[in-house]
Amino acid sequence: MKLTRRKLATVLVSATALAAQPPQSAPAPAPDSDLQTARGRQQANAAALSRVPIPMATEPAFQFKA
Amino acid sequence: MASIGTDTFFASLSELNASLKAREFSAEDLARAVSQRLQQLGPRYNALALPLHQEALRQAKEVDKELKRERYRGPLQGIPYGVKDLLAFAGQPTTWGAKPYAGQVFDYNATVIEKLSAVGAVLAGKLSMVELAGGGGYRLPSASLTGPGLNPWDRTRWSGGSSSGSAAAVAAGLVPFAIGSETSGSIVTPASFCGITALRPTYGLVSRHGAMALSWTLDKLGPFAHSAEDCGLILHEIAGGDSKDPGSAGKSFYYTPQYARPMKDLRVGYAPADFAEWAEPSTRAAFDAALAVLKASGMQLMETKLPDFPYGAALSTILAGEMGSIFEPLISSGKVDELADKAQIAGLKASLELPAKDYLKAMRLRRVMQKEVGRIFASVDVLIAPGRAGIASKIDQPLDRGAGGTPPKDPGFRAIIPMGNLAGLPALVLPCGFAENMPVALQVVGVPFAENTLLAIGREFQSHTDWHKRRPPAA
Repeated sequence: MKLTRRKLATVLVSATALAAQPPQSAPAPAPDSDLQTARGRQQANAAALSRVPIPMATEPAFQFKA
Repeated sequence: MASIGTDTFFASLSELNASLKAREFSAEDLARAVSQRLQQLGPRYNALALPLHQEALRQAKEVDKELKRERYRGPLQGIPYGVKDLLAFAGQPTTWGAKPYAGQVFDYNATVIEKLSAVGAVLAGKLSMVELAGGGGYRLPSASLTGPGLNPWDRTRWSGGSSSGSAAAVAAGLVPFAIGSETSGSIVTPASFCGITALRPTYGLVSRHGAMALSWTLDKLGPFAHSAEDCGLILHEIAGGDSKDPGSAGKSFYYTPQYARPMKDLRVGYAPADFAEWAEPSTRAAFDAALAVLKASGMQLMETKLPDFPYGAALSTILAGEMGSIFEPLISSGKVDELADKAQIAGLKASLELPAKDYLKAMRLRRVMQKEVGRIFASVDVLIAPGRAGIASKIDQPLDRGAGGTPPKDPGFRAIIPMGNLAGLPALVLPCGFAENMPVALQVVGVPFAENTLLAIGREFQSHTDWHKRRPPAA
């Protein structure tokens, strides 16, 4: 079989792309329900905070002093 | 060796100090007796993390030499005490209540320990705690290297957290006083459940150098003791500026109850719904009686509302942001999985995913909250609420179990713990009665650095009641 430069380039690019793919991993584990709950809690907190309007000029309470 | 009876283990700091000065017993006698009691009974409540018997005897012998020379260092001289196991004590394990840190040893002392040592107090042991002070959000009281904190009033119930051992040890008369910490509720809750007096100081008043960091902008250290008077004496010694603590307010505290305002001049804000609706039915009679005592003292009780803000969401978000950064090495290394509580592990892992915008939103909102909360104190001097709405839960009961039923419409001061911590406000816990044979308590919250006012109210309340003198059945 005569291999043209173009065909050779195509083969090499395909091989490189294949090598760059991550190896076949095991099936993803079942989601950690505790982690999902914790994430959900964080998202709920964010939602609660987003409902409160804050003046644009308000800076974070860094250098926190009582 | 002088005989030391059970009454001594529940004596006030002033009484103990007077006995030492009068040579009724030596500091070594007292340290030996307290150490033995702590080692014997501490495990009964899962309250003891590390006995320091030899160190205590060594310190006590030094105190005795000073007393012999009539060199007096103040009311804590010769008094044994315990610290929550998140405070560094050089050369000894500091576990933070967590398996991944079981072998951790520091080569320096926490500032609080240094300060107490300087006035002659004798460190008798380190006390158990919820792992990592519970920052990840734990589901069960068993979330600790030393097992669930057992309540001296009923060992089938929880001692509260995260300063579990500090509260249980004082309640059971194992140490005359203890040091604990609060990020959000870790002093107020165990003190309320165990029926002892405790003080959450203003943010920045007590140095946290040498203490485990959970949240730089929320953490505070404070005393657990048998009375408001004792808490005042302890705070007097442990407060003060410290260049080693970036959050230090640089202020001292002088316990001066004699200069407190007359009780009749004090305006006390409260929410009737807290006592009539949110409080568990079995506790209401105790709370009603406590409010009556305050009224009889001349204080003006005024119905008050907290500004409407998502305090709990803001606190949890700030805590997650700071905790995630602090414990990133633990979480990323996978050693976080060695913790005892799955919910805590998950909370720590999730904290690494918190968007920066959420943390910053919470910190900006915190500033707005602080300003609005400050306005309340234009019309009242202090706020009062139940320490907890109910008695200590059963040891096997999940902590995320809801109360059930329809919650009252009026939120009252339900958010007083996150609100008070977000604003850095001091709080005093006062035992105020019993329900189902378990203690219940009030919390009194004031403006920053108003500890003397809170302590004056505590002294007044405790001069008319004896709840703070009650002892658990087996003690």
